[in-house]
Amino acid sequence: MESSPFEAGTAFTLGPVAITTPVVVTWAIMAVLTVASILMTRRLSLKPGRAQAVLELIVSTIDSEIRATVPGDPARFRALIGTLLVFILAANWTSLVPGAEPPTAHLETDAALAIIVFAASIFWGIRSLGVGGWLGAFAKPSWLMLPFNLIEQVTRHFSLMIRLFGNVMSGAFIISIVLSLAGLLVPIPLMALEMLTGAVQAYIFATLALVFVGSTVSEAGPGPEAQQKEKTHD
Amino acid sequence: MNFDWVTFGFQIVNVLLLLAILRHFLFRPVADVIARRQTETDAALNAANKAKAEAEAATRKALAEADATASARQDVLAKAHKEAEAQSKALIDKAHAEAARIVAEGKAAHERGAHDLEEQALARARDLAAIIAERALTAQPQDFGSYVSRLIASLQKMPPAERGALLKGGNLKVLTATPLSEDEESLVKSAIAPFDIAPEISTAPELIAGLELHSDSGAIRNSLAHDLEQITEAMRDDRPN
Repeated sequence: MESSPFEAGTAFTLGPVAITTPVVVTWAIMAVLTVASILMTRRLSLKPGRAQAVLELIVSTIDSEIRATVPGDPARFRALIGTLLVFILAANWTSLVPGAEPPTAHLETDAALAIIVFAASIFWGIRSLGVGGWLGAFAKPSWLMLPFNLIEQVTRHFSLMIRLFGNVMSGAFIISIVLSLAGLLVPIPLMALEMLTGAVQAYIFATLALVFVGSTVSEAGPGPEAQQKEKTHD
Repeated sequence: MNFDWVTFGFQIVNVLLLLAILRHFLFRPVADVIARRQTETDAALNAANKAKAEAEAATRKALAEADATASARQDVLAKAHKEAEAQSKALIDKAHAEAARIVAEGKAAHERGAHDLEEQALARARDLAAIIAERALTAQPQDFGSYVSRLIASLQKMPPAERGALLKGGNLKVLTATPLSEDEESLVKSAIAPFDIAPEISTAPELIAGLELHSDSGAIRNSLAHDLEQITEAMRDDRPN
């Protein structure tokens, strides 16, 4: 743990470029997820085993969530939402690995995730409505709402970033403090709680990302279920 | 607080790279196998629905064929029943005709037999009559005097005890077939005079011819009727069994 939770330590340097610890941990997570994906999907069959059944359950659940939020084919958003969910969950749970620090406990990682969601919402908005339609959507229901809608576009993605950063960073920070003060076994309940918090935060981030992206797909915006989700998570 | 833009850039690239990796190695293969299973399930379901529809159609067809078969069976049974009735009626009529023919033939044969029997009976009767008449006429005396002589001869031939019993029996009568003339009556009285009797002379047409002597103790038969009885009795005894 670094001296300040807002600063990422440098793991090594590539010439003038300093590679920070969150980047290295992210590469490790990417490697593990990649290898696990390849291993688990190389022998898929129509009669699934346990691992395949778990994978199919995850994918089916993601599709179901997407279908409930955005009308149409869920395959459009499956990779984005699924990657966000899996990566954030894996990143949050790296706090269980001794010496590792969750990349999501650093603002750069959360900002990167939020900016990707922001870019995806713009991409899908323009793709679905065209540039004019997407820009016109900010002036609905009235031109008077234009500045508020623009501010909302920025702030809600900013809140997405801050929510994840605050929750994960605080959990990791508290665990490190308790660990330094109380010894080896005392932080275990807090670590279990951090696992639950990490899973919930991953689900919230992925769901809100889906709501934000899905709201731009249709001029009507998100459906009642999506609006209810956003309201609940805020 | 420092915001490391290099780390920010690296993390953007990392997440996008991970997105591409997971999309290629995780989500797409799993979604494909789910879709493939769904396709096969749909195909199996469609095949099952098709098979079900075919089975239902086959069931309906079988029921229709069963109904048609039952209807045809009823028709065949009705036709067979009608034909059986017609054949039965024809057979009964034929049997009635045959029976009538047999009865008629029997009746005709019976009539022929009866006629033949009647002819035979008549012929036999004629023969018998001729025989009886021949025998009777051969044995009969030629005149009344001969009858009287034969009566006296029979009386004389009797043992004395029997003759005495006959003559002394009460209610002694001389029966003749026809009323006697005075000469014939005198002849009778003169013939029986030696026996010291005075019988009453009366007429008995059933004797046909001749005269007989009767008393309560017996009789001397001397008439054509008696001869005929004798002849008939003798012929009855001669009849083959």
